[in-house]
This record gives sequence, C-alpha cells and structure tokens, in this order.
Amino acid sequence: MNKELEHSFVKQLEENQNIVHKICRLYTNDQDSHNDLFQEVTIQLWRAFPKFRGDSKFSTWMYRVALNTAITLYRKSKRQINIQDFESISFKIKTEEYDDTIEQQLKLMYEAIKKLNDIDKALVFLYLEDKSYREISKTLGITEVNARVKINRAKEKLRKILNP
Amino acid sequence: MDQLDKLKKEWQSREQELPKVSYNSIYKMLLKKSSSIVKWIFIISVIELLFWISLYFVIPEDNIEVMNEMGIGDIMFYSNIVHFIIFGIFIFFFYKNYQSIQVTDNTKVLMQNILNTRKTVRYFVYYNLGMFVLVSIAIDSYFYSRSQQLYEIMDFANKGIPEEGFATTFIISQIIVGVLVIGLLIVFYWFVYGILLKRLNRNYKELKKMDD
Repeated sequence: MNKELEHSFVKQLEENQNIVHKICRLYTNDQDSHNDLFQEVTIQLWRAFPKFRGDSKFSTWMYRVALNTAITLYRKSKRQINIQDFESISFKIKTEEYDDTIEQQLKLMYEAIKKLNDIDKALVFLYLEDKSYREISKTLGITEVNARVKINRAKEKLRKILNP
Repeated sequence: MDQLDKLKKEWQSREQELPKVSYNSIYKMLLKKSSSIVKWIFIISVIELLFWISLYFVIPEDNIEVMNEMGIGDIMFYSNIVHFIIFGIFIFFFYKNYQSIQVTDNTKVLMQNILNTRKTVRYFVYYNLGMFVLVSIAIDSYFYSRSQQLYEIMDFANKGIPEEGFATTFIISQIIVGVLVIGLLIVFYWFVYGILLKRLNRNYKELKKMDD
C-alpha cells in the first residue's frame, strides 16, 4: 500500500515538476538554493500527500504547498544536495528559437519579479500561471478584491520596468 | 494584446527550458530530512519549555532548608504545585497549536498558526519571567525584613561575613543576579525572533495589511 502511494506521488510530481522549478527559480538566486528548495518542497508535498483527497487536481494542490514552502517554511540549510539528481539544471535559453526582443523582455521581467516582496512575487507568479482571482485569493488567504487590486498594482510596476 | 499578456504566453510556453528531475531522484528525496522553519520552531520551543520546567528541579537542597527555616516552606511547596498545573496548560496549548500547522492551509492561515505556536511559548516565558520577578521581590522583601534571622540561619558569622551592612549587600546582589538573568533572556529572544521569524513576521504583516 505504502509502495503504491509512493509510486503514485513520485509519478505525479515528476509530471508536474515544472511548477516547483518555476517557484524555485523565483525565490532563490543560485543553483544550490534552487535544488535545496526543490527538495524541501518535495518533502513537504510527500508529508501532506496522504491527506490529498483528489477533490482538486494534483497540480492545483501543488501550487499551494510549494508556495507555502517557499514563502513560509523554507530556510536555507547547508545540507548536501546531489547535483547529479538534476539532469538539466542549465537555465540557458535557446536563443536561435526565440525572438531576441521577447528574450530580453522576459529576462527583464524575471529580474523585475525577483525584486518584488515575497507576497507580491506569489501574486504575480499565480497571475502568470493564468490562475483565476478566486484561486489566487484562496491560495494566499486574502479576499478576491484585494488580490485583484494588488495584482493590478504589481502589473503596473512590471509594465513600467519593461517600458521605461 | 498588451505586452504583458504576450510575455505571459511566453512564460507558459517555455517549460522545456526548466530542469528535469528523474523519477528515481524524486524517490530518493522522500527519504531526506526537512529543514523547515517549523522544525526549528518546534525544537527551540521544546528546549524553552524544558529549560523553564527544569529550573524548578535544580533548586539546591540548602535553599529548600533555608525556606523551611524562614517559615515559607509550605507556601513555596503549594505555589510550585500551582506552577506545574499552569505548565501543563501551556504545554497542552503548545501541542494543540503545533498540531494545527498544516502546509495545505492557505498561506495566511499557515503563517497565523505558526505564529500562534510561538505566541504560546512567548506567553509561557512571560509568565515565568513575571513569576520570577514577583516571587523574587516577595521573598527578598520578606528576607530583608528578617535579615537577622536569615544571617543566623545561613551561618554567615562563621563564614566571616560581617552582620553590619549584610542586608543591603544581600539585596544588591539579588538585584544584580535578577538583571543579568533578564538581560540574557532578552539577548536570546532577540536572536530567536530577530533571525528565525523575521521573514515570517514581515510576510504575515504584508498579507494582513492587504485585508485591513
């Protein structure tokens, strides 16, 4: 039974790991911290998994646990992470496939989001992931109206950075 | 379409550039230990609870004898029983709050529950500090008013301590020890709250500000 649970969890996390990587990229500044946060999110997801009833999609549930870990629970530790566990850690962008302007703007946007505080970062991240205001407000525990107001403000800040 | 929306589309379509962790590597991670802030808060809180409780067991035998001879042995005994009942109540609330910390709650509730757990321990420390100050004032005043009796019981004459000025020296040394203990505790709490909870407090305030 436990093996089945482990298999089901690891398989679903493997399929949806991009969500965790995106959060790690926003909340950390180097590769070691990225790997460390990924591991902590995995541990927290696994601990909470027995209570996951499947009322919502696994990915929806993941957003909440992963963001909570990044914003609230994560503390940098000196534990050793095996870099080989990450098969493609390079963040290099394949420039030949993309427009340089968009490339530059995306890079700028990443930098701009990283400058926001932890909560605004979460708001913008969920917006970029195309989550509804209702879902955003439920994830963070604020009202829908406030989520909308804050996101609009953060969007405005980003717009100014992208169009100085 | 506005520029930000265009970038939003790009954001979503670039998932192939993200790192990939294999099934086996994820599997191995399940066995690793968490280094979350909740674990540290739990460890520090338990140490604090044990520290304050253990203080009541390390009172030297001589001190108890002195209390008995000064006529306050019974009062100290019954007040210790009351203390332990209050300790039990604090431990119950600490455990209850700790149990309520769930990573699956929304961010605000999660932060609230973590801070509540800390708050219980903080009140426990305030209670102990308050009692420490009150009991010290009460006992010191009582001893001061009967300094001659204390001088005889402690057998200070044979230890070469003059009776003249004894009461004043006694009170001053008690005050110095009290101030030092409180100073050390302030440094400890500055460390715990300043370093461990700084980010959590800041983020919680930010979330609360949104709904105020």
